[in-house]
Amino acid sequence: MKRRFAALIVAAMVLGNTGLAAKQPAAQARIELGRRLFYDADLSRDGTISCATCHEQHHAFADGNRAHPGVTDEPGRRNVPGLANVGQFTRLTWADSRQTTLERQASVPLFGTHPVEMGMSGMEADISKRLGRDPCYGLMFAAAFPHQNKVITFDKVAGALASFERTLVSRSSPYDRGQLSAEAKAGQALFRRHCASCHSGVNFTDQAYHRLGPIDPAAQDQGLMEVTKRPADRQRFRTPPLRNISVTGPYWHDGSAPTIFAAITRHELNVPLDDLPAMETFLQSLTDTSFMTNPNFSLPRSACGKAL
Amino acid sequence: MLRALSVGCFMLTFASTSAAAQMPQTVVCAAQVTPIGEYASWNQAAPLAAGHEADSPAVLTLGAASQISLAPTPDVHYAVRPEKPGGSVSYGGLLALDVASAGTYRIALGSAAWLDVIGKDGPQRSTAHGHGPDCTGIRKMVDFALTPGRYIIQISANGTPSLTVLALAVK
Repeated sequence: MKRRFAALIVAAMVLGNTGLAAKQPAAQARIELGRRLFYDADLSRDGTISCATCHEQHHAFADGNRAHPGVTDEPGRRNVPGLANVGQFTRLTWADSRQTTLERQASVPLFGTHPVEMGMSGMEADISKRLGRDPCYGLMFAAAFPHQNKVITFDKVAGALASFERTLVSRSSPYDRGQLSAEAKAGQALFRRHCASCHSGVNFTDQAYHRLGPIDPAAQDQGLMEVTKRPADRQRFRTPPLRNISVTGPYWHDGSAPTIFAAITRHELNVPLDDLPAMETFLQSLTDTSFMTNPNFSLPRSACGKAL
Repeated sequence: MLRALSVGCFMLTFASTSAAAQMPQTVVCAAQVTPIGEYASWNQAAPLAAGHEADSPAVLTLGAASQISLAPTPDVHYAVRPEKPGGSVSYGGLLALDVASAGTYRIALGSAAWLDVIGKDGPQRSTAHGHGPDCTGIRKMVDFALTPGRYIIQISANGTPSLTVLALAVK
């Protein structure tokens, strides 16, 4: 029964994203275009970094490093978040309340300078120039945006990327299927008691900004305050979602917690150390291996009927 | 589970997955350091033009660094599509490494370019990755457990047309 219910939820979510696409060829074309762009390093200054360079499918579209340097080798400041169910989030990134849509957020890695990631600041025109050299891209943009002119713009790129990202649905973990071991169930009970006020909902995040521990005015990263300028927001960061946490480490906004155990203990919960393995077992049950192997999310092998 | 191993002044991380996460941490350097020991040839790299086709790779000399000239990515025809292909404005190329005895082999690069090692049974899984000795210019090192035979080394997503490469046997 639980399995059937979970399947219905998955079907509803996928239909919400791609079922519409089946009825609307342009919507499907936007997803396909977005997938190709997600893996295309021509969206970076020197062609070395694509979205997928940092968002790797086998890490549930996280990275596996504390932070990832950009095209100029400037060190990254914050840990790369996974993208499972990212289409459901209205607050994106660790601590930037301006990023409320995937379309808007795309400009952060492409054009951002704090730090430089893909390094395209001042080079927006190069995006259309580079992509426009490939006739297949011309066809794909025309199919994805059929009622617009044929000019390739960053807005179209961002729209296509967002369409693809909304298909990144992860709802097939042992937890979703109701296949928790006795230890995981014990861990779930602890989790509900001690963690679920912030790590709440189907994605285990309240999407709110919190500060853990005392304020450190000298910290390199002042969190949400860097955007809002409000002292009350100093070192507040968005509660990270926990789906696929076993493959998205290291943890914390700066990647400074190397293990799940380290991340849990840093919360200074009133939980006996002996109980933490059960909680970790529960968190491991949030791993959706099908999400990491779904061929619809991987590096595309062809476009316009030809091998890439 | 990843575990870190400190070896001298550089670090490799052992990976349980494929050639994943070949991204070393960056280090801020006040001055360049001359590589020593098995990396001593790094600063005397001999020029070598990488191949454009999988059947005509340039052959690396084990233990001797090469200053590789690469081609624009659209001109390179890889044996297997790289996991990180690089954009049309990036550079890539094809190299070969002949392995005479089974063991662990390390490929050191002067950039964060992606590399795939292709054997007769397909892409090889890396066993460790990390950065070279600090401030030597050795930006990235990836280890592979290889058996005797010829391997194609695919370089992709490099930001410049030139790259120093050193292949060596790990003792």
